[in-house]
Amino acid sequence: MTNSKPNTGLIGAAVFIVSESMFFIGLFLAYFFLRGDTTIQIPSDQPVHPSLALPLINTLILAVSVGAMAYAERGIAANKQRNLVIGVTVAAVLGLVFMLVQTVEFSRFISVGFSPSSSAFGSTFFALLIFHVLRVFAGVLFMVIVLVRALMGQFTQQRRAAVQACTLYWCFIAAVWVVVFLVLYTS
Amino acid sequence: MASVSIPVAKPGLLSEIAGWLTTVDHKKIGVMYLVSTFFFFLLSGIFALIIRLQLMAPGMKIVDQNVYNELFTMHGTGMIFLFIIPMLVGLGNYIIPLQIGARDMAFPRINALSFWLLIFAGIVMEGGFLIGGTASSAAWTAYVPLSTKQFSPQSGMDIWLFGVVLLGISSTLGAVNFLVTIYTMRAPGMTMWRIPIFTWTMIVTAGMVLLATPVLTAALIMLITDRNFSTQFFTTSNPRLWQHMFWFYSHPAVYIMVLPAMGILSEVIPVFSRKPLFGFKVMVLSSILIGVLGFTTWVHHMFVSGVDPLVERFFMFTTMVIAVPTGVKMFSWIATMWKGSVSLKTPLLMCIGFISTFVIGGITGVIQGAIPIDMQVHNTYWVVAHFHYVLFGGSVFGIFAGLYFYLPKITGRMLDDKLGKWHFALMFIGFNLTFFPMHILGLEGMPRRIATYAADRGWDIPNLIATIGAFTIAFSVLIFMINFAIYILGRKGEVAGNDPWEGATLEWATTSPPAVYNFARTPVVESDRPMIELRAKAAGAKSDSKTSGGSH
Repeated sequence: MTNSKPNTGLIGAAVFIVSESMFFIGLFLAYFFLRGDTTIQIPSDQPVHPSLALPLINTLILAVSVGAMAYAERGIAANKQRNLVIGVTVAAVLGLVFMLVQTVEFSRFISVGFSPSSSAFGSTFFALLIFHVLRVFAGVLFMVIVLVRALMGQFTQQRRAAVQACTLYWCFIAAVWVVVFLVLYTS
Repeated sequence: MASVSIPVAKPGLLSEIAGWLTTVDHKKIGVMYLVSTFFFFLLSGIFALIIRLQLMAPGMKIVDQNVYNELFTMHGTGMIFLFIIPMLVGLGNYIIPLQIGARDMAFPRINALSFWLLIFAGIVMEGGFLIGGTASSAAWTAYVPLSTKQFSPQSGMDIWLFGVVLLGISSTLGAVNFLVTIYTMRAPGMTMWRIPIFTWTMIVTAGMVLLATPVLTAALIMLITDRNFSTQFFTTSNPRLWQHMFWFYSHPAVYIMVLPAMGILSEVIPVFSRKPLFGFKVMVLSSILIGVLGFTTWVHHMFVSGVDPLVERFFMFTTMVIAVPTGVKMFSWIATMWKGSVSLKTPLLMCIGFISTFVIGGITGVIQGAIPIDMQVHNTYWVVAHFHYVLFGGSVFGIFAGLYFYLPKITGRMLDDKLGKWHFALMFIGFNLTFFPMHILGLEGMPRRIATYAADRGWDIPNLIATIGAFTIAFSVLIFMINFAIYILGRKGEVAGNDPWEGATLEWATTSPPAVYNFARTPVVESDRPMIELRAKAAGAKSDSKTSGGSH
């Protein structure tokens, strides 16, 4: 394959991300539909505006992680294998840290009686968080695959579509997080 | 050239089966799609026949009313999710790489995954009949609270939901595959306006699948967790949430089911009228417009659900607007046939069946799009009549047009045209006998989804006619199967040759059936009807032979 033709795998990943975003749009619509419905009372003991500390830390973690992934992608574009390995490793570890922080956040919510089964509001609130963190997990798995293939020396300046697709997906996950964060915690 | 039968060491039956089970060839996958979805068509059709027997006369006791609910649920979901949508995907799977001059789909292994997910989803959905003996009985809409644990406690409901999730994954992957294939793998010279019209409709369809399906998947997962993990998405909240999420997918699904069939018509009618398609670009644009507008009409299913009247009026307007691009297609097909050298072979007859019945379904759609009329006919047999005119009169006639048109390419043998005409005539008569009386039943107030009715309602004669019609359809499908068994499986049919219909697109440039690699040499496209040039070149090459080809 010459460089002039776009890589089918990369285009496939981009098209797939479109459908992924529709999944979240569906969840957001459900969330706003329930929030906008005045006949549904959000129980007073539930945190409509929960603490911002952990999600802010997590936003920072994801931002650095996206930076690391971009560093890896730039690295292999300049044929620097070492930068690729370092970047992907850092990005994946930060992804795991994000998941850990989310787990802490979930257990804090549940300890005050706010859970997916406490109300329709709780269900949609957690649905957005849980479906997002599942995507983070998928992204980390993708990175592990990229890392293993990188260590086997399978990527070059010309052959790096999987790295690009992984970077694209990771950026998408981070972008979804920003929206999730803004909607659930600040709106 | 006829099929070359060199007696190579014949592969054993086991390795033959293993070859089919592990294939990633788009043609073999396409054939498996066609065969398995036809099986689901027969199964769902048998459910329909049982339904019609039960409703043949007042007070019938063929089946229990709970079983009746399962039957119409599985009839509807089987026909929609396991027959119409995947049958058209199967035709696309076989034809589109050929039509664009490609070697295969962009992601052959994902293609196989899509197919096998469909099969497992089908088994899972129908599996409710086996596990615990109770399939889903909450209708294809699965409205909450009817579909919650409280009112549908059977595990058949859970696995039905799970099956539809699997189908969603299958068709989303398929949509990605189609879009990337068509974007990256077209033959050299196939510019945007040279993409064949069937491929164009599949682009729009795949786009709709890509955007609509994830929302349904989200809703299904939410319902599954409500039923099993005590979440509260639908149980304590407004029941309209499910309806919005369901119809956000399921109204576009109507166009997902009918657009590829419209694409088939737009291929078949020009070939059998010996004329180019009238207004090709307008046909492409109207398909795109249908695809876009298809996302703006879903609330017309909810006019009695208590939506804000202003919102209702907006959706009434969009519902009527979407009839415009559909009407454009109608006129284009008629204009294509107009003053053409029309050859009334079975594929064209099926197209004429589509046009004449779909137009009725389209018009009743506009009629019931008006809010006050909708409130009268909602949940009556009028609606059943309407959507069967769209989905049977439209999609199924289109599917059979596609099968009669493309089976010679797929199998290398022609079907018998006389039996085909009997199939068409009986199916057309049977279809109208079955579904036209349902308009009257609906206006007389017969509700959908009832297992029986009292004798004094005056509903018995239209119901009897509908039952007779349903069995006429079944008989016509039997004729198709006999035709297929004798002339294709029995190899009694004429050898099709590369180009039996003198088609205009690249799938007719290769052998029937095509070799594994599709084209020995990648074709170069120089116009929107590449076969015309290829035939002219072939005729020029042997100019000493007679020049009368019958085409112009």
